[in-house]
Amino acid sequence: MATNPHTSPVAHPETELELHGLWRVVVLNDPVNLMSYVVVVFRKVFGFDEETARKHMMEVHEQGRSVVWTGLREKAEAYTFTLHQWHLTAVIEPDEAGHR
Amino acid sequence: MKRIEVRLNLEVVAPLLDAIKEVSDVLQGKLAAPLDIGEVDVDMREFWRDELIGSQNGDIAKLLALFNKEFFSNGVIAFDAENAEPVVRACSAVRLRLREENLKSVTDEDLETGKVEIDQLAEPMKKFFMCYLFLASIQELIIQHLDTLGEEE
Repeated sequence: MATNPHTSPVAHPETELELHGLWRVVVLNDPVNLMSYVVVVFRKVFGFDEETARKHMMEVHEQGRSVVWTGLREKAEAYTFTLHQWHLTAVIEPDEAGHR
Repeated sequence: MKRIEVRLNLEVVAPLLDAIKEVSDVLQGKLAAPLDIGEVDVDMREFWRDELIGSQNGDIAKLLALFNKEFFSNGVIAFDAENAEPVVRACSAVRLRLREENLKSVTDEDLETGKVEIDQLAEPMKKFFMCYLFLASIQELIIQHLDTLGEEE
């Protein structure tokens, strides 16, 4: 069957999500890093305002973990790498709601 | 570029530099925090680790560069937009390593709450703990001024 030279594949974000699912970036608590440091890192890496950064920091501090971002795996890995550069303990995990 | 100068007590800080250097040397080929990146292929894991170590080494070099001739002549260290973030990251790396290797007998709770009786610590743990606190102070100082460090004078 001949292909039409005037068309090209179109990316569909919803198809990517269906194929690959959503992933979470989760920051885990550690006894070393200062709370003020963690707030700075969240603001720098994710662009959070002070209030949002502080909310996530307190979740890490009080609950041991906080989901700081959810999306496609490749981007989740990139964020996790950057958090590791700042020496935060961070992992990626599948987002149950976004995985089928 | 804005520059923040801090005058430190040479007599108090100079002895801590040996500890910082000792830990920095260990961190040349080792990550400060354990690497947990889940199920990724070997090549990706190696690339990730190598990039992190490279980044860590660069940051630690900036931290060590603070303690230059100016520091040993008048106790002054200086931060600006170029070194502030690398130094604050390096302080985190060295503190993580100190906790992992040199302050093992201190509980997480005592570390987080600051409930450590320094006078009751034996040497060399006392020196390592003083180093741990000193680096935290450096971090707090930089963090207070991070928003203004990028401004032109």
